[in-house]
Amino acid sequence: MSELGLIAELLVNGVLFGAMYGVAAIGLSLIFGTMGIIFLAQGAMIVLGGYAAYWAFRLLDVDPYVMLFLLLPVSLLVGSAMYQLLFRRAAAMQDKNTSLLIAVGLSFMLESAMSLVWTPDPRSITTSYTSSSVHFLGMNWSITRTAGFFVAIASALSVTQFLRRTMIGKAVRATSEDMTSAALVGIAPHRVNMIAFAIGIALAGIAGCTLAATYTIDPYFGFLLSLKALIALALGGLGHVGGALAGGVLLGLIESGSSYVFPGWGDAFGYAAFLLVLMFRPQGLFVRTVTKA
Amino acid sequence: MNPLHGKLGLKIAIGVVLAFALVPFIPDAHEHYLFFYLFLVFVNIIVAQGWNVVAGYTGQISLAQHAFFGIGGYTTALLAIHFFEDGGSYFNPLLLAASGVVAALFAIVIGFPLLSKLAGDYFALGTLGLGEIVRVVLIKGGRATGGSAGISMSPEPFETLMPHYWVGLLLAAACTLVVFLMSRSRLGLALMAVREDSIAAAASGVPVLRMKVGAFAASAFMTGLAGSLYAFYVFAVSPGGFLNLSWTLYPILMCVMGGSGTVLGPVLGAFVMTAVFSAGNVYLPGVHPIVSGALIILVMLFMPSGILRMREGRRRRAKTGQQVEKGSQASGVAPSR
Repeated sequence: MSELGLIAELLVNGVLFGAMYGVAAIGLSLIFGTMGIIFLAQGAMIVLGGYAAYWAFRLLDVDPYVMLFLLLPVSLLVGSAMYQLLFRRAAAMQDKNTSLLIAVGLSFMLESAMSLVWTPDPRSITTSYTSSSVHFLGMNWSITRTAGFFVAIASALSVTQFLRRTMIGKAVRATSEDMTSAALVGIAPHRVNMIAFAIGIALAGIAGCTLAATYTIDPYFGFLLSLKALIALALGGLGHVGGALAGGVLLGLIESGSSYVFPGWGDAFGYAAFLLVLMFRPQGLFVRTVTKA
Repeated sequence: MNPLHGKLGLKIAIGVVLAFALVPFIPDAHEHYLFFYLFLVFVNIIVAQGWNVVAGYTGQISLAQHAFFGIGGYTTALLAIHFFEDGGSYFNPLLLAASGVVAALFAIVIGFPLLSKLAGDYFALGTLGLGEIVRVVLIKGGRATGGSAGISMSPEPFETLMPHYWVGLLLAAACTLVVFLMSRSRLGLALMAVREDSIAAAASGVPVLRMKVGAFAASAFMTGLAGSLYAFYVFAVSPGGFLNLSWTLYPILMCVMGGSGTVLGPVLGAFVMTAVFSAGNVYLPGVHPIVSGALIILVMLFMPSGILRMREGRRRRAKTGQQVEKGSQASGVAPSR
């Protein structure tokens, strides 16, 4: 293949993989926006969703993209329960260390529980179409990667519409804007927090299904994924759904681009971009308004 | 008045340290698992006090402690293999000091840009990114850092764990003493002022940025020392063992559990958490991270401000009256930003 074609393919793959970071980042963004919690267990939840899809495929022969819809109500319930059991009290505290550490504890627990159940060996779902691809615009588009990208776009669009159109969505936005004032106009903070958290976990489930359908997963992949989601979040600006997705795509591009030029350094470039953005554009790259009360 | 803060407390503390110093003289003590446990406790006290200085007292949540730990370990290993080929590196105080100093210098160089720009959660995230960059640099360092395999030192000088025990005890006691002296000095007061309200602190003439960077550097110094000490124990430094995020998470856990921003909280936390992790390793191999994770969650749910702070918190609540309670209940969530 020509040099140019290779680069194009690399960039496309960066975008497609980055979309997954984006979905994880949207979940983080919702949770951070309402509760001010950096939910470091998001990656572990994604991997857990991936294992659920893996099991459904191996034991019950359920297609991962069907499982995505089956997992949706389950993960909403799990998210609500998790908020009520683990984060309800911590969310009410000024000290955010507590909730950060609960998330870390949860992440530990999930990682080792998963490596106990599914062993630390990497797992993947191999369907009839996993390795097939479509030839389009002179490039090979892997079906699963492309599907993952569209799932990401669809998730971002539905979350945006939910936040814009529904009453609960507006309450979520109001709470992210100003917790106290939201409470003053009669929005129940715990309910909003719970809903935001449940959606965050549901997004983790979605990301998990597409991840398992496309790549191999192992129990310890989650933490790295959380970090990547955080970077995507910072690139896109905290609390913006579209920005989070764009941040994820940008991170995917940075990683694949830099690892082409400097093999092995992809991660470092991602983190460096993260640091620079935090320092010089903490409001994110894709946000126009600077002043926010 | 807390008796631990008086003259009597100091005497008790000296007594306890001396008692621990005499433990290796008990016949066969150094072959007991508890001896190893105590060594781990000392290492953990050092890193926990390191985090305590920057986060507990100064309020800057650093998530780059594993980077400082790794820098300390790598400094020791690199100096040992390049300058002490004929031996003599083992527990050389020069190496220990150099490891702390290099970590502290790194913290200063990186601290000025980071701390002048970032505060709060953003600083925490920034330090997390920093730690990961250091990890990648060490992995990709080629011959100089040994890549992902790391650097091995000659384990020849190892005879018993006794020198590790004593040096660990000495450093842990010294770090705790430094924190104690700091907490009662003007410096400590300035750091706490930065933590409580950096704008008010600046208005009162506290050089906020210098205080933050200083605390960051002091924290890095302690953590670098611990990394050096640990390198003398494992004789091989690698990105996996030293740049492990556990070296950031465990000290946080220990501080928060014992009570961060207190002198003895990290010590207490180190004893308890190391016991939990060690017991888990011995009795529940394979399962113990699940138990540890569950324990972290339980501790955070039921004593979020640490064991030492529980009494204090109750007192403070009684004193400041009920408005605070009511206020936070009405909104359900404390207004944080």
